[in-house]
Formats: sequence, structure tokens, C-alpha cells
Amino acid sequence: MSANSVLSAPLILPPPRTETGMVGWMRANLFSSWHNSAMTVVATISLVLALWFGLGWILLEANWAVVPTLGGRIIIGQYNIEAACPGQNCFWRPQAALLLITALLGMAWAVAGGGVTKRIALVVGGAAAAFAFLPYGLDQMGLDVRLLLLANLPALAAGWALARYTRLGSASWIAILSVIAFILTLVLLRGIPGVPLLHPVAVIYWGGLMLNLLLAVAGIALSFPVGIVLALGRRSRLQVVKLLCIVFIETFRGVPLITLLFMSQVLVPLAFPENFPQNSLVRAAIVITLFSSAYMAENIRGGLQSLHPGQVEAARALGLPGWQTTLFISLPQAIRNVIPPIVGQFISLFKDTSLVYIIGMLDVVEISRAFIQGNPEYLANAKELFIFLALVFWVFTYGMSYVSRRVEQHLGVGER
Amino acid sequence: MVANEPTIEQTIETDDIIVCRDVHKWFGDFHVLRGITTTIKKGEVVVVFGPSGSGKSTFIRTINRLEEHQRGDIFVDGIALTNDTRNIDAIRRDVGMVFQSFNLFPHLKVMTNITLAPMKVRKLPAKQAVAQAMELLERVGIPEQADKYPAELSGGQQQRVAIARALAMQPKIMLFDEPTSALDPEMIKEVLDAMRELATSGMTMIVVTHEMGFAKEVADRMMMFDDGVIVEEGSPEQIFEAPRSDRTKLFLSQIL
Ligand SMILES: Nc1ncnc2c1ncn2[C@@H]1O[C@H](COP(=O)(O)OP(=O)(O)O)[C@@H](O)[C@H]1O
Ligand SMILES: [Mg+2]
Repeated sequence: MSANSVLSAPLILPPPRTETGMVGWMRANLFSSWHNSAMTVVATISLVLALWFGLGWILLEANWAVVPTLGGRIIIGQYNIEAACPGQNCFWRPQAALLLITALLGMAWAVAGGGVTKRIALVVGGAAAAFAFLPYGLDQMGLDVRLLLLANLPALAAGWALARYTRLGSASWIAILSVIAFILTLVLLRGIPGVPLLHPVAVIYWGGLMLNLLLAVAGIALSFPVGIVLALGRRSRLQVVKLLCIVFIETFRGVPLITLLFMSQVLVPLAFPENFPQNSLVRAAIVITLFSSAYMAENIRGGLQSLHPGQVEAARALGLPGWQTTLFISLPQAIRNVIPPIVGQFISLFKDTSLVYIIGMLDVVEISRAFIQGNPEYLANAKELFIFLALVFWVFTYGMSYVSRRVEQHLGVGER
Repeated sequence: MVANEPTIEQTIETDDIIVCRDVHKWFGDFHVLRGITTTIKKGEVVVVFGPSGSGKSTFIRTINRLEEHQRGDIFVDGIALTNDTRNIDAIRRDVGMVFQSFNLFPHLKVMTNITLAPMKVRKLPAKQAVAQAMELLERVGIPEQADKYPAELSGGQQQRVAIARALAMQPKIMLFDEPTSALDPEMIKEVLDAMRELATSGMTMIVVTHEMGFAKEVADRMMMFDDGVIVEEGSPEQIFEAPRSDRTKLFLSQIL
């Protein structure tokens, strides 16, 4: 190296001390100006006070015994009561359905090879197994129930191995198996007349978190494709199709869900043939799906409108026919652009499933309310129960927004 | 009218690949193309230039039916451009287009950008489509970018991918709409080089550009557009050295 190049080389200096490390970060983010400092102080004091009194109440004063007392009802509602399932313990059926889900998550983990899928699989499988060790002698929670909960770990492993070592280890197989698992879950829960262990359980007894989750999964899985069709229809050049879609969307967006649920009791029986399975659950699923598809359609239409027209032109110039242009070029980009509002909508759909109490179904919130009402000795502990329910909803919705953020990051690769 | 006057079809010679007869187009009330008549031969490289808003883009976009003309006739490779969608699809397969803003598909990797149409439209098996895409990427000089997303490439590289993507459909004609005007100066050359190579290979090309060095060197014919009509056409020598129209003279004096 010549002396000249040493002299002319630009100096590379470490950043000044105050800019790095903890102190630097705090100075830049918490105390950058006098009002920022004031906010930091006020926020810290409030946080400390809230934690002090909150934790104090949670640990010392609150009586959480109401939660295990309600126990399995929180999860499956009245599914297991004598009237629903005479002479048997039917708890194993929803539990077997849970095993199917864990096994599918295990498969998804093997296919994705880690990341967010792995974390979700481990959290769900781990939490299910951990429930087996709850210290309480839970109502309806005998040894068989606990063993079935523990079985979630082998189910996770089995799913993982199945995907890893057989030809079933692909995204499309998992999609197909998910649909099969969902149908199987419904059959398992509904029962088959004449089959000894599968005594039919009327849907009015389905309840608890299981009901919220069933309605949410059905609503999300169905409103997504229906919403896409409506969004495309609203942009169609065929004026009749366009008009029908607009009328549909504006009708279902314009009426409160609770009203639609009420009306479903009267209208769905008129709209479908007599031999169509007619029950509150199916009606609720239909109404929630239609309601959600109207919003979904508008979200996706927003995504389609945000596309540069050059995208469609480039595809058409390559000779791709219109439907392939939509399928391979417009829709994937449109959906990617509107993941946050779509997930927001799924979160509110999940929370809205609680509204089915209005047509007499005992979802997780309603069964808790009914329990408190029927057992006045727990009236003083209603707050513990509802704080617990809030936490349950939060865990699920937080899970959804966590997944969506990871999916966004993952898909963001091509955007930059 | 003279009896036995030949129909347009009968006047088309076998090496005429694009024939425009009195083509008119309106955007609403706005008369954009006001009677375009020209014939382009197989293997010819035509450079189209003229002031902004004169209808150059609209003209080349009518050739693959991204815009519909409302009067007159256009024949591409012997097929009349009408509302018949089968004709339109057939023509789009034979006409490649490169846009000013590249219009690569941002959600697909470079490789998939190139293989998508051959696989879906020409039903090329995946293996062949990938092999062909690699060849084309070599041809435009960026085989190492196959596994990246468009946004990870420079503008010049993106435009070369766009050229490769159009060539993957094995078109008979290539249309370029100001392919270098969105590029930083140091990247213009790499794109022009790819186009020059394509011209040498015998491709029929219509290029809207104001890169006059490229035009002088590569064009067989130049076409000056103004106000929706072809003001003047001729060889580059004639256009640069002895322009017949005052408007051409004025325009060239402004940009050179
Ligand atoms: N889709 C459109 N709708 C209405 N006017 C348009 C449209 N596209 C282009 N024009 C107008 O047509 C004229 C010609 O446009 P264009 O062919 O893009 O010109 P050039 O490419 O020569 O700059 C311009 O005045 C432009 O504003
Ligand atoms: Mg233009």
C-alpha cells in the first residue's frame, strides 16, 4: 500500500459515545426534548401504579376459583351435559378434534421448516398438553380427559413426521387435509345416529370457546372466497353482475350483524329447501359469512384499485387471458396490499361470534353470564371470570395479528 | 369508385407484417390518432419520435390492442384487429411489448416473471420454460439475477428482464414505448445494447424513443409524429440531413 493511499483513505470513526448503547437509546427516544421527558416520567409513574395495584389485586385479592369451577364449560359449553350426551362422557369428541388440529399444525411446521409456523404449533400443542397438569380437580376433567390433552404432544410429533417422511408434506396436501379435518370435526361433534360412541349431540348444546372458534373458522374460510368473487363482480364490465354485487355488499354492510342474526331465524328457513340442515349453528354460520364477505369484498376491491394499471397491461400484452391475469397478477398483489385490513376484519369477526347469544346459543361469554346468573354465590367473582374471558379473546386475536405481521414481513421481500 | 378495386387484404404483400390504413382513435371527444397509414415489413426497425402527447404511445398500443381504434384497419401478420377476442389473443402472443415503467410483476421472482406466460399461454413444460428463460437472461446479460425479486434489481436490469420476458413468448414483433426514458443515464446503454443485439438478429421492431444516436445507428426508417398524424417518414440519413417538414426540423433542433 503506498503512503499516498494511506493518507487519502477516508477515516472510519466509531460513532460518538452518547449515540450508542442504552444511554444513547434513552436519550434519543425518551428524553429528546422537555415534553418528551415529561411524557416519559408521567407514563412511567402511571405504569408503576397500574402494575402495583393491578398485580396486587390479581395475586392477593382476586378469587380465580370461579374459572376452574366453570371449567370445561368455558371450552365446550353444555356439550357434555347429561341432556346432550346421555349416559356417556362426550368430552373426548372435541378433544379428538383438537388432536386433528395439532397434528395439522405439526405438518405445517415440517413443511414451513420453522419460523412463525413452528412457534404457533409449539404454543398450541404445548398449551393443550399443559392443561393436563392444571392443579384443580376440574369439573368433567378425569384422567381420560387429562390423557387426551397430553396426547397433543404425540399428535404434534406424528403430524410433523407424517409431513417430513411421506408425500403428504406439501402446502396443497395440508390445505386439502385441513378441509377434511374440518368436516371430520363437524361429524365428530354432531355424531352419527346408531353408532355407539357417536351419540348425536344437538347443536343447541354446542357452546363455549368451541362454538366461537367453529363459527370464526367457518366464517373466515368461506367469506374469503365469497369476498373475492364479490370484489371481482363489483368491478365487472357486465352491468347486471356489477349491480347485483353492489346491492349484496351494500345490503349486508348496511345492516347490523345482530339484526341479521335475528332475521336469519325467520329468513333462512324461507330461502333454503326443507331438507337443508336447519339449525341455529348453520344459520349463524351463513349470516356471519355473508356479513363478513361484504366487508371482505370492499377490502379486496381496495387492493385491486391500488394496483398500477401497467400490471394488467403487461399481463395482457403477454397474451395472458383475463382470468389468468386476475388469478396470477392482480389478486395476489391486491390481497398482499390489504393484509392488515383483512386481518383486522377477521379479528372483529372472531369477536363478533359472541353475538350468537341473541339466537339462543351459549358461546363462551354467554355461558359465563348464564353461570353467574344461575349461581348468585359467584356474583362477587364475575369480574374475575370476565377478565379471564377478555384474556382468552386477547390471546387469540393477538395470535392472529402476530401471524399477519409475520406474513407481511415474509411477503414484503419483493416490494422494497 | 373503380370496379374491381382490390380489397385491403389483397394489397398486403407477403413480407408486410403490420399494415395500418387510415387509423383513427378518440379518447372521448379528443381525436388522438387522426388517420395513420403505414406499412412495416418483416425485420424492419422503425423508430417513432415526436413531441409529447402527439399519440406515439397510443399508436403502438393499438397494434397489440391495448387501445382500441375506432376507424380504419390494422392487420398484424395477416390477422385483422377486430373485436374478435380470439384474434386479439393470437396477436398478443405474437407481439411483445416493453414499457417505459418496466411493469415487471413485483410479487414474482425474475425467473417466474419470464416463465409465467410461456407456461400458461404457450403451455410450455416447466423445464423447457426455465431453460429458455435462462438463455434469454444470458442474452440480455443478467443470468445471475434469476432468483431475485424485481425490486432488488437496478432500473437497467429490470428493463432487460422486461425485454427477456417479452422475448420468452417468441414474438414476431417487438414494441418499445420509451424503454430508456425512466432510466438513469449510466443504465441507458445496457438497455440499448440489448435492443441493438435484438435488431441485428432480424426482429421486427417499433421503438418510440428520443435516443437519436440509437436511431441513427439501428433504425431502417424513422417516423415523426405530431398531433396524431405521421408528419414525415424516411431513412435516418434523410430525416437528420434533409428533413422535409418544418415541424420535424423544429423538433429535431429542440432535442439535438
Ligand atoms: N387513456 C387515456 N384517456 C384519455 N386521454 C388519453 C389517454 N391516454 C392518452 N391520452 C391523451 O392522448 C394524447 C396522446 O397520448 P400519448 O399517445 O401517450 O402521447 P405520446 O406517447 O406521444 O406522448 C395525450 O394528449 C394524452 O393526454
Ligand atoms: Mg408516450
